[in-house]
Order: sequence, then C-alpha cells, then structure tokens
Amino acid sequence: MKRLLALLSSDIGRKALMGLTGLLLIGFLIAHMSANLLVPFSKEGYNEYSHKLITNPLIYLAELGLLVFFAGHFVTGIVVTLKNWGARPIAYQRKDPAGDPSRKSLASSTMIYSGLVLLVFVPLHLVTFKFGPWYLTPDGSMRDIHRLTIEVFHSPINLAWYLIALPILGFHAWHGFGSGFESLGVAHSAGLRRFGQGLAVVLTLGFMAVPLYVLLGGGAS
Amino acid sequence: MSTMTVKVRVWRQPSPDKEGRLVDYTVGNVVADMSFVEMLDVLNEQLVAAGEDTVAFDSDCREGICGSCGCVVNGVPHGPGTGKTACQLFMRAFTDGDTLVVEPFRAKAFPVLKDLCVDRGAFDRMIAAGGYISANTGAAPDGNQLLIGKEIAEKAFDAAACIGCGACVAACKNASAVLFVSAKVGQLSYLPQGQPERYRRVVRMVDQMQKEGFGACSNEGECEAVCPKEISTLHIQIMQRDYLRSVLRGA
Repeated sequence: MKRLLALLSSDIGRKALMGLTGLLLIGFLIAHMSANLLVPFSKEGYNEYSHKLITNPLIYLAELGLLVFFAGHFVTGIVVTLKNWGARPIAYQRKDPAGDPSRKSLASSTMIYSGLVLLVFVPLHLVTFKFGPWYLTPDGSMRDIHRLTIEVFHSPINLAWYLIALPILGFHAWHGFGSGFESLGVAHSAGLRRFGQGLAVVLTLGFMAVPLYVLLGGGAS
Repeated sequence: MSTMTVKVRVWRQPSPDKEGRLVDYTVGNVVADMSFVEMLDVLNEQLVAAGEDTVAFDSDCREGICGSCGCVVNGVPHGPGTGKTACQLFMRAFTDGDTLVVEPFRAKAFPVLKDLCVDRGAFDRMIAAGGYISANTGAAPDGNQLLIGKEIAEKAFDAAACIGCGACVAACKNASAVLFVSAKVGQLSYLPQGQPERYRRVVRMVDQMQKEGFGACSNEGECEAVCPKEISTLHIQIMQRDYLRSVLRGA
C-alpha cells in the first residue's frame, strides 16, 4: 500500500499506472471487438456468447477489474494532464513541431480530449447496452442482446454518435499503445509503435463493423 | 559580400516580475555565415547606437559545446535544423526578409530573468540531488583494471554528451525534464562506478525534478528532435525502469 502511494505520488509512477491500465483496457477491447464480429454472422451465436459471459460468476470479478482499470486510467490521466498544463504557465507565441525523430502526432497531443470523449462514451454505452432494455429470445431462455443491438443502431442519433466516437477510441489507442509500454519502461521502437497503430485501426474498423452492418440493412428481420 | 535584412520579433522582459512582450526590430547587414547569436550581437550594436537597452541572452563558447545559449527561434528550441545549439544555427538557414520569432525557453521551472535569459538553476539542483558518484580520493586506479564493454561505454558516452542547455524542456509540451535527468542518471548508472548509488540516485533526482515543477513525459520525443547532442529518448525508458524498480522495492 505504501509503495502504491509512493507510485501514485510520482509523475513516472502515475504515468506507469496510466500506461498499465490503458494497455489492460486495450486487451479487453480486443476481446470485446472480436465477440462483436459475431453480430453480422450469427444471431444465436452472439446471444449464446453473451449469455455464457454474464452467467459466469467470475463476471463480477472481471467487471470490478475493468471498473478499477477505467477509473485508474482516467484519474491518473486527468491528474497528470492538469499538472503538465501547470508546468508551462506562459505559453509560447509561436511553437512549431520539432520534426524527425519526434513521434509527436495529432493523436499524441490530443490524448486528454479524446480521453474525455471516451469518459462520456463508456458510461453512455453501458446505459445503452448493459443496462438497456432486457429483451428475451423467442424461447425465453436468455437475453436477446442481438435484437437490442440492431434496434439501437436503427436510431440515426446512436448511429452517428458511435461512428464518431469509435474512431476517437482508435485515435486514443493509436498513441496510447506504444506510449503505454514506454511509460512502463519498455524501450521504444518503431515496430512496437506501428503494431499499436495497426491494432488501433483494426479495433476501430472491427467496432465500426456492427453499426455499419445495421446501416447497410443488416439484421432486419 | 551580399548581406540580408531580417525582421526579428524578440521577447523583451525587463525583469522576472515584469510583464514581457514581443518587440519588432529590423536587422540589416546580416551575413549568411553569421551565427544566430552573432545576428543578435548586430541587433544589440544597433540598440546601443540608438541608446536603447540591449537584448539579454546567454552565450559563452559559441562553438556548440557549452550549453549556455538557447532560445526558441520560430517555434523550435535552438531554431530550425538538427543537432545544433543556437550559436551553431547560421543565418543561411533563413532568407532575406524573413521574420524570426525569438522567445526564451518557457517552463515554470525556468523563470525568465531578463529577455531571453532564463534561470536554469533547477538543472543544477537536480544534479546536486544525486547526479554524482561518491569516490574516495587517492590515486586513480589503473584503467585496465575496470573492463567496460564497448557497447556500454558508447551508451554511457551518448548520455554524457548532454550539455544541459534545457532545449528538451523547452520543446516538450509538458515542459518535462526527463531527457536531461535520464542522461544524467544514465551516464553514471550504465558504468560500474555508478552502481553503488544507482537506485538512490534515480529516486533523488526524479524527486527533485518533481519539486522543481517540470511536467511528465508524454513519449512524443520532441526533446530528442531538438537536442543539440541528439540524445536518445531510450535513456528515458531505462531511467523509468530503474525508478519504478526502486519505488516498488520500497527504496
């Protein structure tokens, strides 16, 4: 506990925790995105997968873990950002990018803003789906989450919001993956960074597949 | 010899507690082979002739090795180009009629003293906090008694190339000093002589860095891009590893 406090009171410690929790959340997103890809292919398969997931008693432990990672990530993120803003009270009149070998990008310099969008997105997402209408499958044996998914994306507002928020999520992971490892002391390399950027693209496209599938008329019964 | 005329917008601030602002000057008779600081000399000669207060700026060796000079030229610490200090930035990098915006290195931990001069005492205090080795006095040991691999020696030398100019802090969006601290930690901790105090050193220097009010690292690498000695950000990750290890061990 004392060591955790020592870690939390230092910039390097806070950044390491931010990186660790961010990477764990990306790990969760990979599983989440993979499962979502069942939606266009198998209505029954998706419902069954969801049923198995929420009836497993370990789900509560997993959810607690996700909550801790998410809270830890945004709290360290906000604390570090506020402190960083205070480190240069008088701004430059002119500030240009330094160029190669800098890895500065639009994603890296807007992490707090993309993060704040996600801080709004994630609770809304849970309200929409996890705590949303509880339809049952025709045989009444399990929740029909597939039906809810299709319904949600029939609303143009939901559709637009997801198609905006999901690329922002990918944008956040674009810098976050490589930077997370670096904050944990893993030597930076072009390979690691490109892998993270590729992963961010795959996650974004994978998550966008479901709303786009509905937009293109999929799931209409 | 052809000369050129440049417009210079310089930050003028009479003292730490007074407001500063950018003031426009026109500097003529600039030769392409002049360094940027020599151009400032020409500007100051003009100001002296006109009976005005000269622009204060730090400068010493004028050959890119002392780390005294440094200001932000057109939005980049030490100006355009790589691997050089402001005194090794030559006016041939600009063309006749260009406007040069010249500002001091900006950070809470680098208060402006006057015009382009900032107080970089925070760097000295971080070194004093732990950037040394404790060695008994006496005759130097025989060089061949302590064998150090070529790769390790090179890595330590790369870190030791830091001249402490502060451009890394000036370039970082968070005004973070991690590149400087990691170089000063690394130049000792990679070598056998630095081992006894390795973990204590990194904790003390990092703690001092926080006390001085520098920001955290965002892993962007702007620091490396402006560093006159092109010190690699790989030293940062090694320092972070050592620091995390020390804290988790309860050191």
